[in-house]
Amino acid sequence: MAATSVASAPSVSATSSIDQALADRLAAIVGARRVLFRPSELLTYTADALPSYFKQPALAVFPGTRDEVVAVVRELAACGVPFVPRGAGTGLSGGALADGVVLVGLNRLTRVISVDPDNMMATVEPGVVNVALSRAVGAYGLHYAPDPSSQAACTIGGNVAENAGGPHCLKYGVTTNHILALEVILPSGEIVTLGGTDGENEGYDLVGAFVGSEGCFGIALAITVRLSRNPEGVRTLLADFMSIDAAAQTVSAIVATGIIPAALEMIDQATIRAVESSIYAAGYPTDAAAALLIELDGAIAGLEHDVETVETLCRANGARTVRIARDEVERTRLWQGRKKAFGAMGRVSSHLVVQDAVVPRTKLPEVLAQIHRVSQQNRVKVCNVFHAGDGNLHPNIAYDASDADETARVHVAMREIMTLCVDAGGTITGEHGVGLDKIAYMELIFSPESLAAMCTLREVFDPERRSNPGKVVPVHSCREWHMSPAARPSASLA
Amino acid sequence: MSTPVVVPRERALPDSPLAKVQAGIDACVHCGFCLQACPTYLTLEDENDSPRGRIVLMRSLLEGTLTPTNDSVETHIARCLGCRACETVCPSGVPYGHLLEATRATLARSRPIPRIARAILAVFSRRSLLSLAMFGGRVMRATGIARLMSGLPGRIGFAMAMLTSTDRASSSSDEPGEYLSRGNGTRGNVSLLTGCVMEGLFAGTNAATERTLAVNDYLVARPAGQVCCGALHAHAGDDEAACELARSNIAAFEREQCDYVCVNAAGCGAMMKEYGHLFADDPEWHERAKTLSAKVRDVTELLSVAGPKRGGSVPIRVAYDAPCHLLHAQRVSSPPLDVLRAIPDLELVPLVESDVCCGSAGIYNLVEPETSNVVLDRKLENIEQTNADVVATGNPGCMMQIGAGLVRSGSRKSTVHLVDLLDRSYRRAARDSDGKRGGRAK
Ligand SMILES: Cc1cc2nc3c(=O)[nH]c(=O)nc-3n(C[C@H](O)[C@H](O)[C@H](O)COP(=O)(O)OP(=O)(O)OC[C@H]3O[C@@H](n4cnc5c(N)ncnc54)[C@H](O)[C@@H]3O)c2cc1C
Ligand code: SF4
Ligand code: SF4
Repeated sequence: MAATSVASAPSVSATSSIDQALADRLAAIVGARRVLFRPSELLTYTADALPSYFKQPALAVFPGTRDEVVAVVRELAACGVPFVPRGAGTGLSGGALADGVVLVGLNRLTRVISVDPDNMMATVEPGVVNVALSRAVGAYGLHYAPDPSSQAACTIGGNVAENAGGPHCLKYGVTTNHILALEVILPSGEIVTLGGTDGENEGYDLVGAFVGSEGCFGIALAITVRLSRNPEGVRTLLADFMSIDAAAQTVSAIVATGIIPAALEMIDQATIRAVESSIYAAGYPTDAAAALLIELDGAIAGLEHDVETVETLCRANGARTVRIARDEVERTRLWQGRKKAFGAMGRVSSHLVVQDAVVPRTKLPEVLAQIHRVSQQNRVKVCNVFHAGDGNLHPNIAYDASDADETARVHVAMREIMTLCVDAGGTITGEHGVGLDKIAYMELIFSPESLAAMCTLREVFDPERRSNPGKVVPVHSCREWHMSPAARPSASLA
Repeated sequence: MSTPVVVPRERALPDSPLAKVQAGIDACVHCGFCLQACPTYLTLEDENDSPRGRIVLMRSLLEGTLTPTNDSVETHIARCLGCRACETVCPSGVPYGHLLEATRATLARSRPIPRIARAILAVFSRRSLLSLAMFGGRVMRATGIARLMSGLPGRIGFAMAMLTSTDRASSSSDEPGEYLSRGNGTRGNVSLLTGCVMEGLFAGTNAATERTLAVNDYLVARPAGQVCCGALHAHAGDDEAACELARSNIAAFEREQCDYVCVNAAGCGAMMKEYGHLFADDPEWHERAKTLSAKVRDVTELLSVAGPKRGGSVPIRVAYDAPCHLLHAQRVSSPPLDVLRAIPDLELVPLVESDVCCGSAGIYNLVEPETSNVVLDRKLENIEQTNADVVATGNPGCMMQIGAGLVRSGSRKSTVHLVDLLDRSYRRAARDSDGKRGGRAK
């Protein structure tokens, strides 16, 4: 939606060794068609799903098998060239952008390697698309629980790297709660296995360290996930409110009962209108100030009781109507509307910025009111659609980027929103990651010591910092960066 | 936080067809939801061959970063099937089909349309040439020359396999049994678009269309003066030829003063429903075009609102493959299934990726044979996974593409237009009630 062509100059000194000879050596591994070197063909790879940043890779390579990935990474290690892993490029923090370095696309590794329905686990290649995994195990009455709204497009590898969440993570936990083991190729070319399939593993939780590492610790080659049994019963409710405040109060009231909904999502009026004018129109009332999409699941016994409790609470807190999906078709429709909401915003104006912040759930009403104030003061249109149950906000602003004044106001509003979330005791990312986008905010919430500790952890996996350089932690936080490689503490995985 | 960027307002190619669809390009939020719907992305696995990637190329043309003569633009835009599956999943409402046609028309100004495409389009523009070509096709089909040559490598062999497959498909309407093809005509007057390929190679299906509509209480006529719908020309970027053909059709169908224009070829139906858009900038023709477009219906739409009436038993297993220009371009999804479900004892078997293109895409299979083949192979694999006897669809291109693939792979399955199945059901009903001819199974 924004300009595609703001390619910046390569910034890494290793660029000089990214030349035709390297392209040829990589082509020998993956085939000539799978190495892109022409700037025109690299354009589409200059952005992820957050088209505010554009970085031109020097070269992109698309291995088709595990062995090809291994050979590619070893070749890059041999010549000391930095690289950036990329899944489906649906990231919203600029994480998969390669600034003058090599982009390694993992989208072709789409094999479900094995499914073990008895032990409820599956091992997949990193390029398997999130919904494709659930589809592949559906016949066993199982699914893969973390369901980012982008699940129709994003890859499991990308989910691991971002520790992705989704509406149903409120009850079932985010990606990290569902990863049992990882086979990883470190930037050095060494292959390590983290975690294991037989439950608790001895030693440090290295899976936990890798999940959410945003491509800075190497490439996940194979991912063993925990599968979940499909719940016996599912009930989906849509409650609409005439004020945002009432909707926010309802969220708190529901959580206070101790019932844990499978999902608890809030959609505001601007978002409802965008969705309702898209092909994913779900029948949300367009005159409501906000709607809550609430899903309850579990054993049939007790489910109806929970539904009643929640419905009563909604009405007590001012819900105008509460609608319960009659069947799977209606349920899917309600969810499709929510999951495609961000995309539907594209029709509001020509450009869009997306935000991702977390605030303590109890502060929701207050924070939402403040966001509203910020949007009015800056005369920008903030749409809000978010995981209310865990206080994970996604304020989006649609604007016209050819209007310099409006663009500047959007910039100010976004900054103010971020700051007020942090001031409310929140944090700067719930699930989209830091990537390039949030790097400037890291110092808002982490002390220099914490940032330096992150650098030290990274060094364990990637002492030369060749994997996804320049992301997540501000470079100046890593004091050792400026030292000679020899002076850096040597580290390796036991 | 995401840093909003300021983009320049000036545009390259200011007067191009592409510039007119700028708003559609801007609607793309780069979310990537379309990737998994796109047959060329699924098979070629490069984002340059995806909707999102192609839109980036289009935008770069407007920004002047790339020029219309750039090879990458040419390659990846040419490889697009125009199946519009991306539109059906796009939450932002990107009108991809329009963007593609505008891009091709813009590129055609600086680069000639490929030679083979031009030759085919020229034939479709002239009725005399077209009749000759279709006659030639029928001769080769009837004499068995087509079958003999269908194993040859390359485009010729594939074209011959396409012809051969039409033989199998059309023989499905040779089922014995006559039926009184008149209902009461109360559902309105219908003008049939006979279509170039449909009338040339699937004349039996056109006749079946008339009979089944009549049974379901429509009055059907074939307006004189109708020509090719112009879809192939519009998809290739030859706007002028498309408009010229469209004008002839608008005039021809206006004379009939019908309630509906019935089309049994999904690609032609999609095109005629878009005549209004085609003449958006032409004050003289816009209203007339819109009026005609509003009357256009796929044959299954007309049949499904009428029931359709039940016929006799047709106990076969059918896999339905949705034509892209029906499902994605016209957004007609359930009427074809309604028609199939109305046939007693017909078993509808699920086909994985029935909503994904088969690679036919008008003349794409002859212009971009390599990509077309990989897309087709995936389709054939999915078809072989089913236990279907036949693959039913609703577009001649798809019938021939899949049909050719089945012929060449030695499969025992074949393709059929779903109207032919309904027709068969009505014949059986007539035969059964007749009593005299019973007992001849399929
Ligand atoms: C409309 C929309 C809705 C979204 N909704 C959600 C949501 O509800 N919850 C949520 O959490 N996110 C959401 N996202 C963000 C995004 O989809 C997720 O971050 C997703 O996990 C990214 O996956 P990907 O395959 O697209 O990865 P990419 O964007 O390609 O890459 C993301 C990061 O992962 C790294 N990476 C990719 N593959 C590997 C690998 N194999 N090994 C190591 N590193 C790798 C990359 O280097 C990069 O840093 C949404 C995005 C969109 C566009
Ligand atoms: S789904 Fe639509 S908005 Fe999203 S990338 Fe594709 S074309 Fe663009
Ligand atoms: S029209 Fe079809 S082939 Fe072309 S980009 Fe869209 S989905 Fe892909």
